[in-house]
Amino acid sequence: MTTYILRRLLASLLILLGASFIVYMLIAYSGDPLAEIRSSNSPSKADQMARRTELLHLDVPPALRYFIWLSGAVKCVVPFAGQCDLGVTLQNQPVTAALANAIPTTLQLVTTAALLAILLGVTIGVITALRQYSTLDYSVTFITFLFFSLPVFWVAVLLKEFGAIGFNDFLRDPFIANSTILVISLIVGAVWTVIIAGTLKRRLLTFGVAFLVTVLVLYYLSVTRWFTTPQLGVVIVAVTGIAAAYGFTVLFAGLQNRRALYSALITVGIGLVMYFAIQPLLANANLWIIIGLGILAIGVGLLVGYLMGGYDRGQSMKAAALTSFAVAFLILLDRYMQAWPAYMSNPRIRNRPIATIGAETPGLEGDFWIQGLDKYTHLILPTIALILISLASYTRYSRASMLEVMGQDYVRTARAKGLSERVVVTRHAFRNAMIPLATIVAIDIGGLIGGAVITENVFSFKGMGQLFLTGLHNIDPNPVMGVFLVTGITAVTFNLLADLTYSALDPRVRVKA
Amino acid sequence: MKIRRISAAAAVLAAGALVLTACSNTPTDTASPSESAAATTGGNIVVAETNEFFSFNSSTANGNTDINSKISLATNSNFYYIDGDLKVQRDESFGTIEKTSDDPLTVTYTVNEGETWSDGEPIDADDLILAWAVYSGFYDDGGNPDEEGNPTTGTSYFSYAGSTEGLSLTEFPEIGEDGRSITLTYSKPFSDWEVSFGLDRPAHVVAKGGGLADGQALIDLLKDKPRGDAAAPVATDTALKAVADFYNTGFDSRTLPSDPSLYLSSGPYIVSDVVEGQSVTMVANDKYEGDFGPKLDEITVRTIADPSAMVQALQNGEVDVISPQANADTLAALEGLDGVDVHKGNQLAYDHIDLNFSGVFADQNVRKAFLKTIPRQAILDAIITPLDPEAKVLDSQLFVPAQDGYADAIANNGSSDFAEPDIAGAKELLAGATPTIRILYNVNNPNRVDAFTLIQQSATEAGFIIDDQGDAKWGSRLGDGSYDASIFGWINSGVGVSGVPQIFGTGAASNFNGFTDPSADELMGELITTTDVDEQTSLQQEIDAKIFAADYGLPFFQSVGVDAVAERVEGIDAYNPNQNGVWWNVWNWSVNDG
Amino acid sequence: MTAILENTADVPPNPTTPENPEDVKGLSQGRIVLKRFFGHTGAVVSIVVLLSVLVLAISAIGLGPIPGWWKYSYLQTPPLVNGGKPTLQVFPFSLGEHPFGQDRVGRDLFAMTMRGTQISMFIMVLVGAIAALVGVLIGSSAGFFRGKTEAVLMRFTDMIIIIPALIAAAVVANSAKSVIALALFLGLVSWTGMARLVRGDFLTLREREFVDAARLAGASNSRIIFKHILPNAVGVITVNTTLLMSAAILTETALSYVGLGVKSPDVSLGSLISANQAAFATRPWLFWWPGIFIVVICLTINFIGDGLRDAFDPRQKKFALRRVKETRDRPDLYPGSKAPDHLTTGGSTTIAAGGLYESLDRPADMGEDNDDGEGRR
Repeated sequence: MTTYILRRLLASLLILLGASFIVYMLIAYSGDPLAEIRSSNSPSKADQMARRTELLHLDVPPALRYFIWLSGAVKCVVPFAGQCDLGVTLQNQPVTAALANAIPTTLQLVTTAALLAILLGVTIGVITALRQYSTLDYSVTFITFLFFSLPVFWVAVLLKEFGAIGFNDFLRDPFIANSTILVISLIVGAVWTVIIAGTLKRRLLTFGVAFLVTVLVLYYLSVTRWFTTPQLGVVIVAVTGIAAAYGFTVLFAGLQNRRALYSALITVGIGLVMYFAIQPLLANANLWIIIGLGILAIGVGLLVGYLMGGYDRGQSMKAAALTSFAVAFLILLDRYMQAWPAYMSNPRIRNRPIATIGAETPGLEGDFWIQGLDKYTHLILPTIALILISLASYTRYSRASMLEVMGQDYVRTARAKGLSERVVVTRHAFRNAMIPLATIVAIDIGGLIGGAVITENVFSFKGMGQLFLTGLHNIDPNPVMGVFLVTGITAVTFNLLADLTYSALDPRVRVKA
Repeated sequence: MKIRRISAAAAVLAAGALVLTACSNTPTDTASPSESAAATTGGNIVVAETNEFFSFNSSTANGNTDINSKISLATNSNFYYIDGDLKVQRDESFGTIEKTSDDPLTVTYTVNEGETWSDGEPIDADDLILAWAVYSGFYDDGGNPDEEGNPTTGTSYFSYAGSTEGLSLTEFPEIGEDGRSITLTYSKPFSDWEVSFGLDRPAHVVAKGGGLADGQALIDLLKDKPRGDAAAPVATDTALKAVADFYNTGFDSRTLPSDPSLYLSSGPYIVSDVVEGQSVTMVANDKYEGDFGPKLDEITVRTIADPSAMVQALQNGEVDVISPQANADTLAALEGLDGVDVHKGNQLAYDHIDLNFSGVFADQNVRKAFLKTIPRQAILDAIITPLDPEAKVLDSQLFVPAQDGYADAIANNGSSDFAEPDIAGAKELLAGATPTIRILYNVNNPNRVDAFTLIQQSATEAGFIIDDQGDAKWGSRLGDGSYDASIFGWINSGVGVSGVPQIFGTGAASNFNGFTDPSADELMGELITTTDVDEQTSLQQEIDAKIFAADYGLPFFQSVGVDAVAERVEGIDAYNPNQNGVWWNVWNWSVNDG
Repeated sequence: MTAILENTADVPPNPTTPENPEDVKGLSQGRIVLKRFFGHTGAVVSIVVLLSVLVLAISAIGLGPIPGWWKYSYLQTPPLVNGGKPTLQVFPFSLGEHPFGQDRVGRDLFAMTMRGTQISMFIMVLVGAIAALVGVLIGSSAGFFRGKTEAVLMRFTDMIIIIPALIAAAVVANSAKSVIALALFLGLVSWTGMARLVRGDFLTLREREFVDAARLAGASNSRIIFKHILPNAVGVITVNTTLLMSAAILTETALSYVGLGVKSPDVSLGSLISANQAAFATRPWLFWWPGIFIVVICLTINFIGDGLRDAFDPRQKKFALRRVKETRDRPDLYPGSKAPDHLTTGGSTTIAAGGLYESLDRPADMGEDNDDGEGRR
């Protein structure tokens, strides 16, 4: 195993060297870095050209220039070799500093989007696989392909128009017209009908319930002007928590496992007590407190599940831990909502919370909650855009993978044993279907750090993609190489990780050293 | 069993509906513990800019970008500023410019008593001497540039984006007894003297950064050093080189430097925060005491590269002032917005076609014939008219319509010959010949592409064969003879005349088409040593006529610029064409929403 | 994914209709695929729509020297009619002077959209062809010969994979204006997924009995590769090519947005919508028409790919979850309690194969991941 990893690492190093040389030559021959100065009528043209020539070593032929770059770059990769030096940009900024600024911005933008896309994509993929060739399958396939086919800047313009400008206008007077309520409710009803499916009677029932609930909820939101002063309150936390308890129990244990259900319900109760208990703590929260509370919530869930015991402790612990986490999340959401009015009325926000550009409101002052809201209002649109376009591939992969697994003998065997369909799907099929997906996810995450060039551009995020693109436009090799180095290293690393994960997850795959 | 499944489904369904809409039955009335931001008095304005800020020194060749200059404008005082009508206005509350003699041209600059940098250091002679050393290029002896422009002998010290032509006519200035004034004596008259000198970076900071004790040490260092001579270079002065290097690069920073002396202010505002690549925040400078005091608490500059993103950000209230690249659609979208004032006007930039005086165009008849085919009105109609229905074709190579000499210039420069395409006339001049014309333009600029498309159609009718040389790397091909005609744009500084010989002088740096006319050269020599404005105008009119007579090429139109301002902002009333755009009167900006 | 199995009996049994004659009857492989494909409504509709778009684009403005039926070329600049608004009427149907409207110089948007469709489809086909060719050659050599050849080829693939497509595009954009060069370069950086996929398939297929049989019969390596193994991998290749093609259109659109795509005066669908992005609110037709064509082309190609996948992969036959459950509840309807052994061998070969070889790689069926995100996000 070690030999294998070492050999792969060595190969990766050679790959990086080769690719970096190619990329350097490509960028060197992609244009003339002096063009911009050459075509200007600035009086100090000769001086500017001289300085830029010196800055970029343009007097050295590109092939040799690469080695100048490499001699600095090597120090970044090899430990203890000295100061990391990736050169400077045309504006005389060290590339290392530019990267240090760009990487966090990019990660902030792409990680949430990637996680949500994977979660949603896998869920949708599995559901459509279980309902292959149903109305649901066809509609979902159509919709995901449609999103996939839309150019992202187009999606961005639409999102800004309706998601930001439209929604902010709506917030001025958050009253929902009756006709709008009716239309939305009809759509929600129809969606639920397609999702739940079943006999005609069941469909009608589903439609009716979904329609009614939506009408009532929307009407309530409208008359209470809920959107300007959003609240969950303890009752909603309780109701949703109980629903989550049932949901997770159904998924992981089955309702006949009473102990699991009771564990989950007990954690909901604990959560509700905590709702009141921790409000003072939350008032002075910081990120670490929140993370700590999250871990605590999971711990409490596990403990409750463990204490409840039963013939399958693991099931109870799982259901309780997830329920506990969900309740904790609801409490967090509720706390953010409490900060919403203050955020809205901030003089820099002026009651238009959803942002179309940038990663934050410059100069905004406020506590943890205000800052957090500010981040989310900036991230929401680009995140949606990224999810929409990357949803298709995850959906298709997990669908295909699930379909393949569902046709395997062991699934048939499991059914033949008389296991319930829930157990067959969650225990036998789903887990195996996720094995190949794990490698895709690993490789995708490796590619994420390269940024989302166009999304960053449209939403004015100054991340890796922007750095790369500006460098490319100005024929500025150093930042381009810097970005390439970071993405190349992560891609190669994650590729290796993907292979190792695969062998770890699938015992049939062996690594031969 | 069946019942259980349905009830489970119903539970999930209900939970889903509730979570999706995140509703509440019990709106508890918890007072928000979040603090509200401090009360403001002057308010804040957010301005969107296309480029990223990266240097507190906008005078160097590297730092001289629009955004750096704008920040510099808001955070610096000077003896003069350029107003919205492109007229030079003095700021007497900062200091005075006094022309004491015309022959030799002698000018005294005096900073008012009590003017200080934001660290309390007085603004005085050392700061002026530093500016002079930079703007005059006095000490440079770099010469014999190689192909890439590197001096192969001697040393270039300070990097300066502007022209050193004027101040290089002066010797080391005389420092006044008050220690706040210097006197410059020109060896011969210089037309643009009024705008060739001003306050630059604080000398005490530059001196310290270069390893000297203080501003006085800098004066001492410079005082006795002789003028650099490219023909006889001497060894590099390491002390001066250290100072110059600090000046050239020490102020470059994309974040707020930890050393506050790097962003000292002498103007109404001072930088308080920089988020790399995203925003620059400036607050009122409480040390400022001049007439152009700040009316706002804060100005935030946000970088938005995408023009449609700018429009939507303005619409969404995230920014208050935008100056997007103008095109008909952007303009129409802006005009459709509520609560936004749109100003448009002519930029100082103009598009034109130049013909190479070699190859197929060595023959003036071919040049004339080709120019006769150019559908300038159609180009204008396609590109500019949708933005500005009143726009007219630009008829002068040296003036723009807003300038005083324009009307007289176009009456006499022969531009009327090219008012309408004259295909028959062109055919006659060609006499059956079908020359092939290689036209160079920037394929990435839709305006140039459209102009090319229209010219191609029209010229083909007259018998020309058009070779499309559209190229993204057009800039590096300028002057290399690989084309016969080029479509691109110049930017007129709007002030001063020293730009004229740079483009039209024989062998000048920006004379890409090989135009040469001894009589025009003579007139241009006269032009840059004339200080009388009327005289300058008439000289330029003569030069303009000579350029047209040589069938040099044709100007097309002035570009249209646009800015849009939220109604809550006051003080931005019209489009300003120079490079500072809306920023020219930043001290007048205020908000009206209390 | 081992798409084509040697005999149709590998199709898993459909429990309710075990004796369905069509599953057992001796049909040729191509027949089965075709039959399945035409059973996929979405794919059939898509192929009809895609072909109509192609025919419309070619017939309207012609191709090369052959003139089309539409009166304007995408280069002409007729005077603006009615502010350039579209004149298309659906009821009563009439095209009018400029059915899709005109741009600001007066060029006819219908002609431009047709030209853009031609160019975009040309890029799509060329990128697909190059990527498929290079990917198949490299992947099949690596998978078939293994050893040193495989190591070198796959490391080379790894190297190309990390070179950003944007750089290649920038080089083309700044040095050549030709669409062919752009498509060529795009093709040359997008074959990597195909190579990995084909290699994975070859690794499995080369161990199969029919290869041994061919070898024993004295077939040369090239004959084994091209005559015996390749036909069996054609499903994977076809499916992957369609996905590559739709990704190519979107990549070109993204490149146009950052100014590195097709250069004017020539147009592609991508360059049209990115050039007219600002017109979204004011002259939406400039934005919508080419946009609709992009979406239609991508959508149809994806559906065709989906249909092909289902057609080529017997294991993805509808497995009818519900019916399985119902039949289990009613044993009288379920004729056999276990499936015959020989029917269920196809499943795990690919994955298991991974363990046989010294260099691990992603399982073959994951290779469809054709950087669809990288170029366009």
